[in-house]
This record gives sequence, C-alpha cells and structure tokens, in this order.
Amino acid sequence: MSFTLRSVKVPPNSVNLEEARHRVFDFFRSACRSLPTVMEIYNLHDVATISQLRSAIATQFRKNSSVTNPKVIDMLLFKGMEELNNVVEHAKQRHHIIGQYVVGRQGLVQDLDTKDQGISNFLKNFYNSNYF
Amino acid sequence: MGLGLLASKAMRPASRIFNSQNPRNFLFRTIVSKPELQKPETSAAQAQPDPPPVDLPPRTPVAGARVHFPNPDDAIEVFVDGYPVKIPKGMTVLQACEVAGVDIPRFCYHSRLSIAGNCRMCLVEVEKSPKPVASCAMPALPGMKIKTDTPVAKKAREGVMEFLLMNHPLDCPICDQGGECDLQDQSMAFGSDRGRFTEMKRSVVDKNLGPLVKTVMTRCIQCTRCVRFATEVAGVQDLGMLGRGSGEEIGTYVEKLMTSELSGNVIDICPVGALTSKPFAFKARNWELKGTESIDVTDAVGSNIRIDSRGPEVMRIVPRLNEDINEEWISDKTRFCYDGLKRQRLNDPMIRGADGRFKVVSWRDALAVVAEVAHQVKPEEIVGVAGKLSDAESMMALKDFLNRMGSNNIWCEGTGMNPNADLRSGYLMNTSIAGLEKADVFLLVGTQPRVEAAMVNARIRKTVRANQAKVGYIGPETDLNYDHQHLGTGPQTLLEIAERRHPFYSTLANAKHPVIIVGAGLFEREDKDTIFSTVETIAENAKVVRPDWNGLNVLLLNAAQAAALDLGLVPESGNSIESAKFVYLMGADDVNLDKIPGDAFVVYQGHHGDRSVYRANVIFPAAAFSEKEGIYENTEGYAQQTFPAVPTVGDARDDWKIIRALSEVAGIKLPYDSLGAIRARIRTVAPNLVHLDEREPATFTASLKPASSQKITLTPFENVVENFYMTDSITRASKIMAQCSALLTKK
Repeated sequence: MSFTLRSVKVPPNSVNLEEARHRVFDFFRSACRSLPTVMEIYNLHDVATISQLRSAIATQFRKNSSVTNPKVIDMLLFKGMEELNNVVEHAKQRHHIIGQYVVGRQGLVQDLDTKDQGISNFLKNFYNSNYF
Repeated sequence: MGLGLLASKAMRPASRIFNSQNPRNFLFRTIVSKPELQKPETSAAQAQPDPPPVDLPPRTPVAGARVHFPNPDDAIEVFVDGYPVKIPKGMTVLQACEVAGVDIPRFCYHSRLSIAGNCRMCLVEVEKSPKPVASCAMPALPGMKIKTDTPVAKKAREGVMEFLLMNHPLDCPICDQGGECDLQDQSMAFGSDRGRFTEMKRSVVDKNLGPLVKTVMTRCIQCTRCVRFATEVAGVQDLGMLGRGSGEEIGTYVEKLMTSELSGNVIDICPVGALTSKPFAFKARNWELKGTESIDVTDAVGSNIRIDSRGPEVMRIVPRLNEDINEEWISDKTRFCYDGLKRQRLNDPMIRGADGRFKVVSWRDALAVVAEVAHQVKPEEIVGVAGKLSDAESMMALKDFLNRMGSNNIWCEGTGMNPNADLRSGYLMNTSIAGLEKADVFLLVGTQPRVEAAMVNARIRKTVRANQAKVGYIGPETDLNYDHQHLGTGPQTLLEIAERRHPFYSTLANAKHPVIIVGAGLFEREDKDTIFSTVETIAENAKVVRPDWNGLNVLLLNAAQAAALDLGLVPESGNSIESAKFVYLMGADDVNLDKIPGDAFVVYQGHHGDRSVYRANVIFPAAAFSEKEGIYENTEGYAQQTFPAVPTVGDARDDWKIIRALSEVAGIKLPYDSLGAIRARIRTVAPNLVHLDEREPATFTASLKPASSQKITLTPFENVVENFYMTDSITRASKIMAQCSALLTKK
C-alpha cells in the first residue's frame, strides 16, 4: 500500500467547476495513454482491444456525469487516480482487470436477450436461480 | 481443604434453617463432596421428616406424556418425591415417575419394547422397601411413596454407572455415538467423578451384521434393546445373548447377516456406540448437522424423517416420532437411500443432439425447444406421466399445463390405465395405519406389505403379536415375518372366499374387526375392476365395512399415487402412449419405454439420470425431495409436506417452477407464480391436500359403485416389488442400496 500512497499526491482542491472539469479531461487522457502498458503487463491482447478498454474507462466517467460539486469531483478524481496507479503498478492481477473492465458488471452470463422483453418476473427469476 | 468447603461448612446451619422454612429455597446450596453419599443408609435414617407438601408447583409430564385411563375405576394414586399423581393400574414405577415429570435414567428400558430390567440404572427408593427397586420392572402399587432424589437412589445410580464404565472403552473421541450417547450423558449427570478400576478392560470381537450396521461390540453394555427389537418389532430371530457373566455378549448365533428391512432402527435404540450406522461412520459429528423435519418418499407410507445435512450434503436420515404413521421406526430403504441423492444427478438442462449425445444448454434454449415441439403436435398426441416421487404441486401444474395444451392424457405411474379415482375409499387405506392395531383378522390380497410398505407391515406384526390376529394371504410365495396362512396365489381363492366356500371366510365373517388389504399392484391388471368388485363382495358378506369400522383398504405403492388420484390424474384413453408424439415424463422412470413410438419427442424432467433418460430428447433437471417443499399424501390419506434440507444441485429447479416457466414460453401462462398460489389452486381441486398433517378419511364407501361386468382371469397375482431396496430413481442410484440388494435379498 505504501508505494501507492507515495505516488498519489493529493492535489490542491479545484477552485471552481471549470478547473475540476479540466482536471477530469487530463486524467482521462493520462488513463488512455497508459492503456498500451496495461495491455502489455496484464497480457490482455487476446481478450480485449485498446478501444474496448477506453470505452470501459469512458463508461466509468459517464457514470458520474451528473456530479457538479467540485469537491465531489476532486474526490472521484482522487479515487480514479488511485485505481489507475494500482493498475499501472501491477498491484492487480489479470482477472481483476478482466472482471472489472473487460467482462463488466454483467458477468460472464449474457442472459439478457431481446427475447426477454415481454416475459414475466417469474420467468426472469426462473432463468437466474431456483430461489426466489 | 479448599475455601469453598470451609465456606459451605460455615453456611450449612443457616441453610438448614432456610430449608426447613421453605423447601424450595436453594440459595445456599454449594458444591461439596458428598458425605451423605458415603453412608447413604445412616443419613437417610437421620433425615428429618419432610414438611407436609403444601404448595408443590404442578409438574409437567416428561416429553408431554399423556395418561389414558382405559377404566376410570382403575386409577391409583402414588407419590413421587412427595407429589401425588394419579395413574392407571398396571403402570410401572418408571412410568408413574414420567407422569409426575421426573425423568428416570435408564439404558435397557424402552417404551416400545418388552421390559428386561437388566441395566439397573433406573433404581429408585420406595418407602418400606428394603432395597432400591428397578423402577422399569416394578409395577406401581396404590399409595406407593417413590423417592427419586434421595441419597440412596443417587448412590445406586453412581454404583451402576461405575460398573457399566468398568468395561466400557474410553474411545469416545473416535466413537460415532459421541454427542448423542446415553452413556456419555448419564455418566455426566449421575456418574462418579472418578473410577476405581485399574485392571484391564475386557474386549469383545466385532460382529458382521451386514452393510448397514457397524458393530463395535466392546462398547456394548448388554442392555439387550437390540435383541428385543429384532425379535419383537422386526420379527427376525437373528440377534441374541451369548455366554454368561463377564463373557456375555450380543451376537448372531452363527456367522450371519441381519436380514431385516427394519435393521437400521437398532442404531437408534442402541444407547451406546456399539451399533452405529456403517455408511455414516466417521462422516460427521451430530452437533455439526442441521436437522430438517421432512417426509420420506421411497414408499407410500410417508414416514416422518429428519434429514441431517451439513452444508449442501445430506449426511444421514433418522426417524421422527409420529404415532399415526411410523411410530419411531423407519425402514432401511428410507434411512440409507440418501447416498443416492449424491449420485447420477442431473444438474443442467440438456438437449440430445443429432449424434445422439446430450449437449448442455441454457434453460432459455431448452424451454424454447420444448415449447416449439409441443405446439407442432396435435393436442391428443401429447401425453404426460408423473413419476413415483412427484409432489402434489408439480402434478397439479403438469395437469393444468397439459389441459391447456388441449390434452387430457396424463396419469401417474403405478395407477394403471383405468384407475378408480372417483371415490377416495377406492384407493386409500380406510382403516388408517394406526387403526390396524384394532384388527383381529387380516386378509392380504395380492400385496406383500413387508416389501411394499415396511412400516405398515410392522404395524400388522404388532397387531398379530398383541391381539393374536389371524392373517390370510393371497399371492405369490412370500416371507412375512409373522404367522400367516397362505390361502392361494390368485383370483381363484378370492372367488372361493366370495362364494363362502373357503374356510377362511368363516374366520373373516366371525371377526370383530376384520381388515382386507388389497395391493396397488393389482391396479395394473386387466381384470382389476372385477377383482375389486369381488373383494367388495367379500367385504359386504363378511361385514368388513360398517358404520363404525371400515376394514377395506388399498395399500398404495408410491409416494405420489394418493395425491395423483386425488388430483384426478386419470388418462383419457388407455393406449394414448402408443400414438403419442410428445411425451412429458415428470420423474417417470418405470413407464414401458418400448411403448413410446420411435418418432415421439420425449421430455424428461427429473433429478436422476435413470432409465427414462436413455430415451429422452430433452432433460430438465429438477429438485429431489430433500431439496424442495412439496406436499405428499400417504396411503391412508394423510397429507404432509417435505422441507428443503439442502440446496438444489447445479442448475436444477423445483418441479412446478419448470412447468410454470415452460407454460409461459409456450404462450399459455399458468396463473400461479408462488407456492402459495399453486396451493390455492390445489385447494379448489382437492382441498384435503392442503390440510397438512391431518388424515382426511374417505367420505363415501365403495358400495356406491356400479357392478363391473369384466371377465375375471385366473392368472395368479405377481410380485410387485422385485427388490425392496431398489424401487425408484433415488434408491437405484444408491451404492448402499446396491450392496443391500446384493447381500440381503433372498435368492
């Protein structure tokens, strides 16, 4: 943990939304720039492409697109930098990256289908497990 | 001398004063060595007269025991520890103490076996008796003053414990009884804290009792419960006492296995670890297990069981008390079939590919394929068969599903093509299992209760022993473990009795409570209606069915049968399976697969890869009885339910859920989403099925039926159960049951 703390410096707070926004873009760029290294160290060539990972990162950003408080943005930025640092430092293992960014929340089971539009809750639960 | 002893000595005068004022005040009692116990006689003599029992709090009998007075005049009053209690004449001192709420320690005494009185653990003091008496063997007399808590009684128990432990090995850490051992518990409660025995302990050679019961005979304390159980309840003379004195041991007289269908019960009644379960040996400790109170489905009796599980695994099955059904015994098939739940399980939906091999698919795809095929065939070409182990919910769902598809060709295995489902009295055990105990003459028609329903057979045997009831048997040569007359092998004898030509007819007609039991194996016969009307003629002539007594019974074979007939699972036409294009087998493994046409699409829904899987095109994995909540009705019409003890295997689902999901994929959604909703649906069809844990007797008797005009054939009755140990998909997958059938079935 110590090396992570060493490398992540707490930047001064953003004074306004504009500055926070600027920092977010900077961070996104640095994340994208580190992607080739990430591909290399986690040996992801056979499971993902750089553009897929980039859009996975973008999804993470978009998830918080509604946040307007600069303090909260700074906090999220800090957490993002920490995460990026962990990834680049090889503090994670291959399955972490695959699980979090390649396969995603949905998991390996791609059970959601266009066919599932009109079905009842019972059938949806039935496909998931026996216990509902 | 410790400080505590000094303190207690200082306290004692004060405590005596307190005691004389209020006998129930134990505030100043301390733990001391027992000077009274060293010389119990003198201290008993010194004991000051007890203050009169003014306001003794009412005590509750042990385990909620109730006293039944057959004749109110015969009530006598005895005093247990000064507390007066009314008991019927003929009760023993031990039973009187139980009614008074005092549990007497015992090893050899068992309420369902005869009294041996050889362990001496139940010694109590009786006033005016020179010695302590063995309470289990001593009848209570009017006005007897029994003292269970006196120094004499305590000293006697301590002495008995010391003698028992003299030759008992100190191997509790590796003993399977550890944690549920009577000897362990009672030596903690009543034993001395040290032993005086320094010699070698004796050792006894272990006996081989077969694949079910493991023996460590050195642990045996010679209580003879197992010997009495085998001769009295199980009806086999396999076990006995050999030798005298310190050489006394339990054994089979010659090198022989114990061949009883109830042999597993000796494991439960053995108070020590001498007889333990062989399959359960060294598998688990009883305090790690989670008990789930459930119902047995391997036969139609519906024995009450407790499923002990650890995590996702069923570790053992033990009986649960139900006086109406199985008392406290279960058959070996019930007890040891559980390892079948771990083998041959279906865990994923599968579709048979073009190459004839099964391919694992998702539920979505499997349901879609089946729904599509079901819509391509004509409604009358759809056939559904419910299996032996199906619960009422799934049979209701299957019937509703098939009816909505436009088909009414649905039945349950073993009920035959033309079952008589109109009157419940025509397929139930109307006397009830407990009611059989009143009977004095039995006529068994085409049924071998020993293999078809072992617990019913135990009840008949109990009646034969207690009432000297006569048993007449019509059917193939068989081995019943009580005295019986073999009257004949086929309908010929039945006709002779009906025409009052047979000598057994007068026995039946003169009986006060005659019972006729017809086997459900006859359902499969062509001339079943005539046979049943012949039996009804006999019943009418011999006055077997009267307003106060209904002795005409059918003994069913499978757990699902009674509920299936209640729900009306009756096929529309007798030979629908020969012309079927779409066959839905819900756990049905005993249908004749050759009858299904080659181009038919067969769906198998079940929990075991058994016979029908070889013919199936699609497999839906379902939950076994230990994994689901389901209603089962036993052969006497007693509705009970199972509870899930372990999680389902793999991607399996509950039976009714599969059919409900399939119905939605097929576009004919069934209107229930939950267990409560499907039970509400069952209530509209057969309300007795949702009245759980009560017996719903049939209302109308069979006399309402029109006479049958079929021709009776004289082919003899056949064996219905070929192998007691393997009757359904669970028991066929069980290794223990395979060993049993290899070693124990008579060739």
